[in-house]
Amino acid sequence: MEILLQLVFSGIALGMIYAVIAFGYQLTFATSGTLNFGQGEALMLGALVGLSLVGNIHGGPYLNYWLMIPVVIAFGALQGVVVEWIGVRPAIKIKSEFGWIMSTIALAIIFKNVAENIWGKDDLTFPTPLTATPFQVFGANVQPMQVVVVLGALAMMFAVEMFNRKSIYGKAVVATANDRDAAGLMGINTSMVITFSYALSSATAAFAGVLIAPLTLTGATMGTALGLKAFAVAIIGGLTSGMGAIVGGLILGIAETLTGFYISTGYKEVPGLVLLLLVLAIKPAGLFGKTAIKKV
Amino acid sequence: MTYKTNVFVAAALLTWSLAGNAAEPIKIGVTGPFTGGSAPMGVSMRDGVKLAVADINAKGGVLGRQLQLVERDDEAKNERGVQVAQELINKEKVVATVGFANTGVALASQRFYQEAKIPVMNNVATGSIITKQFVGPENKDNYIFRTSANDTIQSKMIVDEAVGRQKFTKVAILADSTNYGQLGREDLEKALAEKGIKPVSVEKYNLKDVDMTAQLLKSKQGGAQVILTYGIGPELAQIANGMEKLNWKVPIIGSWPLSMGNFIDNAGKNGDGARMPQTFIQDGNTPKRKTFIAAYQKAYKTDRMPSAVSAAQGYDSITLLVAAIKQAGTTDGPKVREALENLKEPMEGVITTYKQPYTHDDHEAIKPNMVMIGEVKNGRVVLAK
Repeated sequence: MEILLQLVFSGIALGMIYAVIAFGYQLTFATSGTLNFGQGEALMLGALVGLSLVGNIHGGPYLNYWLMIPVVIAFGALQGVVVEWIGVRPAIKIKSEFGWIMSTIALAIIFKNVAENIWGKDDLTFPTPLTATPFQVFGANVQPMQVVVVLGALAMMFAVEMFNRKSIYGKAVVATANDRDAAGLMGINTSMVITFSYALSSATAAFAGVLIAPLTLTGATMGTALGLKAFAVAIIGGLTSGMGAIVGGLILGIAETLTGFYISTGYKEVPGLVLLLLVLAIKPAGLFGKTAIKKV
Repeated sequence: MTYKTNVFVAAALLTWSLAGNAAEPIKIGVTGPFTGGSAPMGVSMRDGVKLAVADINAKGGVLGRQLQLVERDDEAKNERGVQVAQELINKEKVVATVGFANTGVALASQRFYQEAKIPVMNNVATGSIITKQFVGPENKDNYIFRTSANDTIQSKMIVDEAVGRQKFTKVAILADSTNYGQLGREDLEKALAEKGIKPVSVEKYNLKDVDMTAQLLKSKQGGAQVILTYGIGPELAQIANGMEKLNWKVPIIGSWPLSMGNFIDNAGKNGDGARMPQTFIQDGNTPKRKTFIAAYQKAYKTDRMPSAVSAAQGYDSITLLVAAIKQAGTTDGPKVREALENLKEPMEGVITTYKQPYTHDDHEAIKPNMVMIGEVKNGRVVLAK
């Protein structure tokens, strides 16, 4: 029983990381129908910028861990604006169906190479703000930082949902998400809203980066695999549902740790991807997604 | 310019280039991972090699010619290693190559050197079959030599330390999924079987894995008293840190990359006490070692070598190679190989003084008695007591 609990706890911490990144995919998909395939790189940049601020690699530490978080979120937002401006806006303008795919992938590769030149190709340690010593919950061990990851991720998603539902700007986002042309006719600056959604999505990824960095190692290549897993999560959960991201993340995270223990560590990534295929075959809109009817 | 001066300049250039030809430098390839998770091995190896070459060039080189290194980053990727091998052989025309930190890269790339009859000095990679890849009826001669302690030696020492000296009976194996990790795991299991011990769990993980919970829980469930590892720095650190996450502490004993800087730094206090076989420890206990360490620290402005073993083995690989070129009196591949197999004079290296390090059938310079057990202590590797 303890074993199962331990695996589930680790799976939850892992799954919430996927969920935050997957949430970022949804933010941009809702408003513009496009995705940033560089979400993993946004996470990596966030983590490395955070490391420069709190670590001792660039003459630091300059800031306390908790004070660094808003700076990194702001940096992430800025990075998202750049991606939208260079990679996505031209594609939307010419109504290209797929141009944004290649341009966001291209930007991701560029970001990775830039990061390799600034921070090197090595994995670096991120100083942990809390003690790494685990405490016991029903006999299973949990690190304080793992709890922070889960709570931080939930808080972030809650804040974005609240913003969308309660504030007038949020309503503009929702309106754009529902019908971009109608929202435009109602006087909403939809291209501004799309830029904003990109800023928000990269900011969540950067935030996820500094949350998980103390638990893992930080490096220029850390984003690629995480971004891909999160994409699978977004598809499983449904690209239109915030709830889907959380549930999808938890399913994938827990499936990985359980398979690793009960079947084989060599196969730990298989069940998640099998699930992805099943979802695509049976309910292509995702577990929580609304089926979109596209008129041709 | 007048016609006359033109002719004069042309003639001067021609004589200069001819003179240059006469003492053209001897090109030696250096291949290793200079970036990524294996970088501490590759970079230290390259730096050791550069020190040896600087020493030799300062004394006038060999056969009256200077040595020139052609360095290429193989990024620890098998396919990149193959490209580097072909470039070094066909374009750069090297007379020999030193390097390979990764067993997989070595196994994928060596074929090209063997076919071109160009000697290779493996100075970091340890996979047992590396020097045996081209023995047997279809290959009369083998061009692959080594100056590192192979996995047969290492796995036996790891098991001796864990089972023989520390009297553990329940052991768990954690190895990465690369050629290196899996070949090493086989060697470990063989060495354990000789002692009549079956590991309680044998787990693997991928490079870049960030969560080791499942693997460690299995080992813990099996009642493991010690973890034997076969992997490289960053993931070894994940293992040590993963144990802290589970609030479970057993000793780690494993192959030599437990001495890598990126394990020691990333594992921090969790890495303290890890033990591993070492051919060289950064401790100036002989005059040769003392000057080597001082030269390294001065040249690369660092107190701790990122991977002292790789640096020393890199240095020695050049020493032995140059001794062979000198004895052969030529840079011709087959003759250099023959000289390597019959080195007459003893060569003083950093690790040991080599007397007849190689024969036709034995291409391993490091013998079991030259390897010791090191231990991570306060961020450095020291001799285990």
